[in-house]
Amino acid sequence: MIGYIIKRTLLLVPTLFGVSVGIFLMVRLLPGDIIDILLGGDITATEEVKQEAREQLGLTGSYPEQYWNWISGAVQGDFGDSLRNAEPVSAILRDSLPITLELVFLGLLFAVVVGVPLGVISAIRRDSARDYAARVAGLVGVSIPNFWLATLLLLFTSKVFGWVPPLTYVSPFDDPLENLSQFILPSLAISVFTLAIVMRMVRATMLEVLGQDYVRTARAKGVGKNKVVYRHALRNALIPVITIVGFEVGVLMSGAAIVEIIFGLPGVGNQLLQAIFNRDYPMIQATTLVIAVIFIGFNLIVDVLYGILDPRITAV
Amino acid sequence: MSDIPKEDGHGDSPIERDLSRRELLKKAGQIGAGAVAAGSLIGSAKAAPAQRPGATPKRGGKVTWALERDPVHLAPFGATLTEGHWGKSPMYESFIEWDQSLNERPALAESYKIVDKKTVDFTLRKGVKFHNGKELTAADAKYSFELMENPPSPGSAVVKLTNYAAVEGTEVRSKYVLRVKLKNSDARLFGHLAWNRYTPMVPEGLYQQVNVGREGIGTGPFRLLEFQPNSHVEYTRHQRYWKKERPYLDALSFKVLPDEQARIAALRAGAIDGGTFSADSVAVLARDRNLRVLKGPTAAFRELQMTIKPGDAKPWHDKRVRQAVNFAINRQEIIDKVYGGNGLYSGHVPPGYGPWPLSQAELKTKYEKFDLAKAKSLMTAAGMGRGFSVTMSTFSAPLDFAQISAVIKQQLQRININVNIETQEGGTFGSNNARGTFEWDLTQRGMRGDVDGYLSEFNPSNPSYNAWYPNYRNVRVWRLVGNGKIQLDQAKRLPMYKQAQRLLLEDLVQVPLIATTKFHVVRPRLQGMYVAFSDFLTGLHTSAWVNG
Repeated sequence: MIGYIIKRTLLLVPTLFGVSVGIFLMVRLLPGDIIDILLGGDITATEEVKQEAREQLGLTGSYPEQYWNWISGAVQGDFGDSLRNAEPVSAILRDSLPITLELVFLGLLFAVVVGVPLGVISAIRRDSARDYAARVAGLVGVSIPNFWLATLLLLFTSKVFGWVPPLTYVSPFDDPLENLSQFILPSLAISVFTLAIVMRMVRATMLEVLGQDYVRTARAKGVGKNKVVYRHALRNALIPVITIVGFEVGVLMSGAAIVEIIFGLPGVGNQLLQAIFNRDYPMIQATTLVIAVIFIGFNLIVDVLYGILDPRITAV
Repeated sequence: MSDIPKEDGHGDSPIERDLSRRELLKKAGQIGAGAVAAGSLIGSAKAAPAQRPGATPKRGGKVTWALERDPVHLAPFGATLTEGHWGKSPMYESFIEWDQSLNERPALAESYKIVDKKTVDFTLRKGVKFHNGKELTAADAKYSFELMENPPSPGSAVVKLTNYAAVEGTEVRSKYVLRVKLKNSDARLFGHLAWNRYTPMVPEGLYQQVNVGREGIGTGPFRLLEFQPNSHVEYTRHQRYWKKERPYLDALSFKVLPDEQARIAALRAGAIDGGTFSADSVAVLARDRNLRVLKGPTAAFRELQMTIKPGDAKPWHDKRVRQAVNFAINRQEIIDKVYGGNGLYSGHVPPGYGPWPLSQAELKTKYEKFDLAKAKSLMTAAGMGRGFSVTMSTFSAPLDFAQISAVIKQQLQRININVNIETQEGGTFGSNNARGTFEWDLTQRGMRGDVDGYLSEFNPSNPSYNAWYPNYRNVRVWRLVGNGKIQLDQAKRLPMYKQAQRLLLEDLVQVPLIATTKFHVVRPRLQGMYVAFSDFLTGLHTSAWVNG
């Protein structure tokens, strides 16, 4: 098992290298020039002063040179300074990353806590009214864009209850209740798609598992219904669900960007979108890299969990 | 390099004048040598503040206002973004300030004396305190001028004061007198000092004392408590503010809410007291009896810009074709279809910018009159009766740019011009525009410290001139624009800029379209707020108060 984990971890190195090169190049392929944006359409700036500004911002030199300067700092935790406000990117990430992680965690938690039982009920009550309702809800869930749902939730609560979540971020360590009231709507908004996916996946795998010989054997031996479902069937049905949940972390993080903007949360997704609009290269590179690392990290965890739940995988 | 092709016979003799505050106030709104820039005459920019008639302002209370964009940073110098100024303007002031009608009046400088055409002495108001308790002196002002010329990070080092006014240097004459030396006679200086976006006064050594991106020390009515990018800016009243009766509010809070629906929800729920909204949303919010709509013109006007470059013969290089385009555009239709009837015709200087723009009547009946028959006749005369195709780039957001493009496309089809609309994200559009890599751009202009800011791009010494229309020549325009900049006598300056605008409306290398209306929607408790022509939120820190 340890060998398996080491092997999977080592594979991260070329993956992250490829990701970092891809991010670096894609950022520079963006049309538009940070200098023009920084000047805000100042029509008096000559090409000479623009070049001077590029040099000050470290945007001159060959791409390999620029890449080396960036990546050698990044591996030491120094992502450079934002081109927009000159603040260290690592400090901006330190402030914004916990917000996005909390949002993703709550969204994932909501999706799993609601999605798994719904999937189980739908499977064990196959073709009942509850099953049909859950399946229709699942279809609706995968069809609703999260930004639309987020907007609807806000408009609904403001119109009906005269309430919107607090506009200024409060850390859960300072005021857990205030923090929860701030995150409940955004986490609900980003979780619906994942919830629907989890529910549908649990239902499908449960139906498959419930038809397996060992489940029939357990029932024949007189094992209680709940024990058969939750101890024998669900445990095995969750293996592919865990894989899906791992992938959904990426989906949730991408969904978080727009939801953060709608709810005014200063998370990483919000920062990334602003950075893209502003062509803030160090900020775009760092946030994208961090999101990629989180995504890859979650997949590593999923791989390891997979190995724990199904030892045949590590043997292969 | 001189940007004045030829003197035009207008005098620019030095005028000595020492104006007391009372005299300056009296002179504001009148023609005076360098006393005023944008609004030397009472302009039409004034928008009625949201205040019940007869209501007496009260002190106290807090206002929360939604910003539609993040200020990014609050550095006092070298910042180019409008949203940056939204965030920082409550704490910074300059020598001069604009009133609601863009009349200049004394602020941190109680008077000034024009010593000669290249020298101006500013006398500072005594007893003005910074937020840290230190008194403002000429040494602080000198330090501030040096930073205006060389803005440190996070400001943009290329946004120099000398791009806007010909300042050569400063000299401390006494504790309260600062001498400003100019390279040339320059009428733009006073407007730029009133437009404190680039010219705030800060205490000496500020950049060594605080992180100016997130902190700040000024003399303004509010003291900064906290700035969290992409989240909020918090201010509290400056207890030792030099205007004893102001500000009315105890605290001011900005929340960054880029999503308009989120702003609407927050406003309805009472989480914010006001914000800026699009015309479409205002149509809905106006029906809510718990809200009030404020509207007014702003300096932002839309225009159609064309490139005229050598070795690149295009149909619109012929002036008659540009004139045909101008007469085929029905501006009132744009105002009605895109802005629900809210908007004004605009020349090269937007309506509301003091006395400088051409009148609406002149624009509507002569220069910008919709006349399809004349447009067709001009196209035929230019040999373009069968028309041509052109690509017009514009911003992908805000949406009104794409909407205007669609209306223009429809209108120009009537003279057989096929307009291919290309919407571009702001960064791409800005980059292409700055380089002149476009055929036509549907773009906008914003606030300027001085009227020269609207017309300087028709001066061949301006880098944009060579990027956009190096093949455009009109020596009369060059002379008027070049001489207008150095003419200190506003009375003589005014006809020069009016004449330049008329000539430009015949040449039409840029076709000005319409000036937009800006909307704030506020909760009834917020009084004294108004839509500032400058596009900033001046009312919040000058006249706003809360009732209840």
